[in-house]
Amino acid sequence: MIVQTALLIGLVLFSVLAILLRDLLKSAISLAAASLLLGVVFFRMNAPYAGVFEISVVAGLITVLFILTIALTKAGDEVRESRAVNWVFPLFFAAFIIIDALVMKGLLQKIPALASGAETGTFGDVLWKGRTFDLVGQIAVILAGVFAVLALFRKRDKHD
Amino acid sequence: MTNTWYLYLFFAAALVFAGLLGLLLRRSLIKLFIAIEVVAKGISLLLLGTGFAKDNILVAQTLVVTFIVVEVSLVATALALIINIARQAKSLDIRQLSRLKG
Amino acid sequence: MIILFVALPLVVAGILPLVGKVSRRVVPDLLANAALLFLLVYAAITGRHLIAGGPVLQQLSWFGEPVAIRLALDGFSLFMLLAIALVGLAACLFSIDYMERYGAKANYYALFLVMVAGMNGLVLATDLFSVYLFMEVAAVASYALVAFGLGQDELEAAFKYLMLSVVATAFILASVAILFGMTGSLEFAAVAKALQELNAGAVVGVASAFFLMGFGLKAALIPFHAWLPDAHPSAPAPISAVLSGLLIKVSGVYALARIFLNVFGLTPALSTVLMSMGALSMVVAAFLALGQKDMKRMLAYSSISQVGYVVLGIGIGTPLGIAGGLFHLFNHALAKGLLFLTSGSVQQATGTRNLDEMGGLAKRMPVTAATNLVGALSIAGVPPLNGFWSKLVIIIALVQAGHPVFAVIAVLTSVLTLWYYLLMQRKAFFGKLNEKWAAVKEAPFWMTAATVLLALLCVGIGILFSSTVTTWIQPAADVLADGVHAVIGSWGF
Repeated sequence: MIVQTALLIGLVLFSVLAILLRDLLKSAISLAAASLLLGVVFFRMNAPYAGVFEISVVAGLITVLFILTIALTKAGDEVRESRAVNWVFPLFFAAFIIIDALVMKGLLQKIPALASGAETGTFGDVLWKGRTFDLVGQIAVILAGVFAVLALFRKRDKHD
Repeated sequence: MTNTWYLYLFFAAALVFAGLLGLLLRRSLIKLFIAIEVVAKGISLLLLGTGFAKDNILVAQTLVVTFIVVEVSLVATALALIINIARQAKSLDIRQLSRLKG
Repeated sequence: MIILFVALPLVVAGILPLVGKVSRRVVPDLLANAALLFLLVYAAITGRHLIAGGPVLQQLSWFGEPVAIRLALDGFSLFMLLAIALVGLAACLFSIDYMERYGAKANYYALFLVMVAGMNGLVLATDLFSVYLFMEVAAVASYALVAFGLGQDELEAAFKYLMLSVVATAFILASVAILFGMTGSLEFAAVAKALQELNAGAVVGVASAFFLMGFGLKAALIPFHAWLPDAHPSAPAPISAVLSGLLIKVSGVYALARIFLNVFGLTPALSTVLMSMGALSMVVAAFLALGQKDMKRMLAYSSISQVGYVVLGIGIGTPLGIAGGLFHLFNHALAKGLLFLTSGSVQQATGTRNLDEMGGLAKRMPVTAATNLVGALSIAGVPPLNGFWSKLVIIIALVQAGHPVFAVIAVLTSVLTLWYYLLMQRKAFFGKLNEKWAAVKEAPFWMTAATVLLALLCVGIGILFSSTVTTWIQPAADVLADGVHAVIGSWGF
């Protein structure tokens, strides 16, 4: 429990860092670190498949895509961020954490949760047999993404 | 059990809030997208934490895996948009891109 | 085979890029339109047949083992499938000519079909997470379609649309997680049953609020509408037609209605909230539409306003109110689709969307002017067109349910709507012909064919409204009016 909490705190820290840092590259790396920690958190929750996906896809693939974009858009160096961000963000964030801690405990007591039955089967069973329509959806969303990228990077001879 | 759920919900809410706050405050398109990624982390943590607390970890994992696949498509599309915008407008500042009034 | 509604567009979309390498225009045009035509026929004819005996629940099996693709086709989902196929087909026909100058037609049709598959999947889904998933499928396709022209306005509008949609996603999934935590299941029937047994007012309230914010953003209800006035005008005209006519209704209104009426159950508090939000959208957007110079922007604000009517109608909760709301959803899909298509014709002919620069186009583009007039009068609610009947039903339902104030507001907004539409018609089409447009020609064949098709439907449904209502609207309304029991009782998987 302690380890888990420490990991979660690290996760939030790296994420906030990713948002606040000025340098885009450092931001991307901070985000990757956060993803790694999240992956470990997942492993410790007995969710190895989610952990593997998180680490390989989010910490890996998405970080690569980010760095690719940063490299391809060197124009981004000149975006002047407002100075106010540096103090507004921590302020509101800290305020939220406090409200979060107080409110949520109370709310959770109020949730009369139904006991759920023990789960049967393996992950494979649940995914392929239990949520097959989601697989169709996954194929669809991948198609959407592929076609979107193809459309957005096509050679333009004449456009509107 | 409620305590475990509380733990994960707390951190998930913090992540989502941080991301949303980032969306409001940052100006570079790429930073905006990093904020979106943080929101996505919060949501995956929320889904998995809920599953864990309810002994439904397998279903929760399928949800998170599907969500990550959606996220990849989203990131690819968004970054494609960003690269195109950068080429055209030569800027990634969201204030410069206020030709539309919303 | 209900799965065809999702599988067919996906498969065709998948082979389109390959086909596109061989034939750049004719075969993609043919394939895409044929697919949509099939969907339309399937929905209209086979669908009615299938649900004659009550909701159809299909559990597929592959290689002998039952596989969990559970699709539910009831009155409400069939109604939406029909609307999607109709407007989708019209927009696709229109695209044959309109998308020539954008290039990459095979790619465009592929995205279009994926979007249709996503919408169909959303409508047929039986569990909360699948609703989210297919919503995202349609959304990702729509981001690329909005930005398809690759001009700066379009790219910017698409990015803002994307950002706000992600916020909506976060809220929707948060709510799904809460419900999952409370009930241990994601399926509509199971969740509905569990919620009835539990007694968790405050938390259900939080979950409802999150759903409202998330789906409200997708439906562009005020105050979550900020992305629409930029995204819909910038998109190519057939896409604007599908976005305004279908996507905001499928991802927004359908999901809201299905979840709030069939899973949560419509409480008086919820009813008041829905009605107030609907009325707010209705009025504010109508005022915002008045001052617009850009033709498509005016249409975009009008969409927000009309969706307000729909939500207002459904929010009343009485069978008549729900029927009125759904009827208006259908009519608006047809009419707004039509109007965006004609605006595309105008934009292609004159190169501008600015109403002040137009004038007297009716002389050079008579068919477009006529169909535009039909669409405008339909939305404004002029008899005997379809829009008149749906608005009338909503107003009567409001009075019957004891909300005279809302009824008055609805009537007044109708007047306002008529005003700005007549203004648009006058500025663009009537009046003296601006010399700039002396050489303008009527729109090409498929574009006019598509608009004429929709216009005829508007008129036809207006005249034959009572049979349309009994055949299509009433079954849909009944499902919603039955509330939670529709899903628990008849969907019990």
